[in-house]
Amino acid sequence: MTEVIVWDGWIGGIAIGLYAIFQVWLTGKLLGVSTGYGNLCSFTSRLPFFHRDSYSQPNNWRLWFLIGIPLGGLMASFTSPESLNLSFSLGDMYNTVIPKPIWLRGLLLTLGGVLIGYGSRLAGGCTSGHTITGVSLLNWPSLVASAGFFIGGTVTVQVMFNLLV
Amino acid sequence: MKDKILFLPLGILFGFLLSRAGATTYDFYAQLFLFQDLQLLWVISVAIVVGLLGIGLLKLTNFKALVGGKSIDFKGKPYRPSLIPGAVLFGLGWGLAGACPGTVLAMLGEGKLGAIFTIFGIILGTYLYGWQVGLRMDTKPQPSADQIIVKPDIIS
Repeated sequence: MTEVIVWDGWIGGIAIGLYAIFQVWLTGKLLGVSTGYGNLCSFTSRLPFFHRDSYSQPNNWRLWFLIGIPLGGLMASFTSPESLNLSFSLGDMYNTVIPKPIWLRGLLLTLGGVLIGYGSRLAGGCTSGHTITGVSLLNWPSLVASAGFFIGGTVTVQVMFNLLV
Repeated sequence: MKDKILFLPLGILFGFLLSRAGATTYDFYAQLFLFQDLQLLWVISVAIVVGLLGIGLLKLTNFKALVGGKSIDFKGKPYRPSLIPGAVLFGLGWGLAGACPGTVLAMLGEGKLGAIFTIFGIILGTYLYGWQVGLRMDTKPQPSADQIIVKPDIIS
């Protein structure tokens, strides 16, 4: 697995907070990611949901933002001391609780993804749109959503690491 | 819409910063929810405070976006009944996959190939929601059909 440089949490927080302000200052668009996954559906699905409101023009800023993020990850690994390393490893901790066979691992991660995708559409946003942007706006539904995110995350991880192992 | 291409370098910067912040490191998610290492809680809470101050400043100065020159819409996302169940479902997936919609994309760029499955799942889950919304729209104009379906349940 690629080992990347990690800054202290508070420095990372300042950097991401400044990024969020910079984006809105430059473009007028508030930071958010999960809605963009619907843009990807717009290209392959004829369901009306993916062709109206925020998806009436799927080739929009959200799509380009989504394309940029993996390239940023690539840059982060190229600028880390260790070179890029392709691997299905999930790091020391998750490797102990998530089974090794690739099909089972893939199934669990896909399930996790489905919950993330479906849940974020039900909630109307994710950790970027609700927790970072929404709470910064003092928007109370975003604060409620963020509490829900943390409750769900704590339940899964506590069950996985304390009950299953 | 000309500004959309601007979001390619912005996405690159955001992905890079997520990685440096530790948000693409699986272990930090496990440690966060086991309350062992609060790296990501620091990232999130400091980012919120910085965002709060910055947005306050932009609001006070009634700032116009540099590109496009429109005044900025700071309206937050609305409450809806599905918000709480949706947020908890999201959280369950967040803990399981050790990633969220933004960070999993940066993980892919770092060569963490498990991200392929998670990204596929997120697209699938988003599609599922769009499909479900479509179903609700189809059934709405036919209340009589709904009543027929509901009746046997009431009897039983």
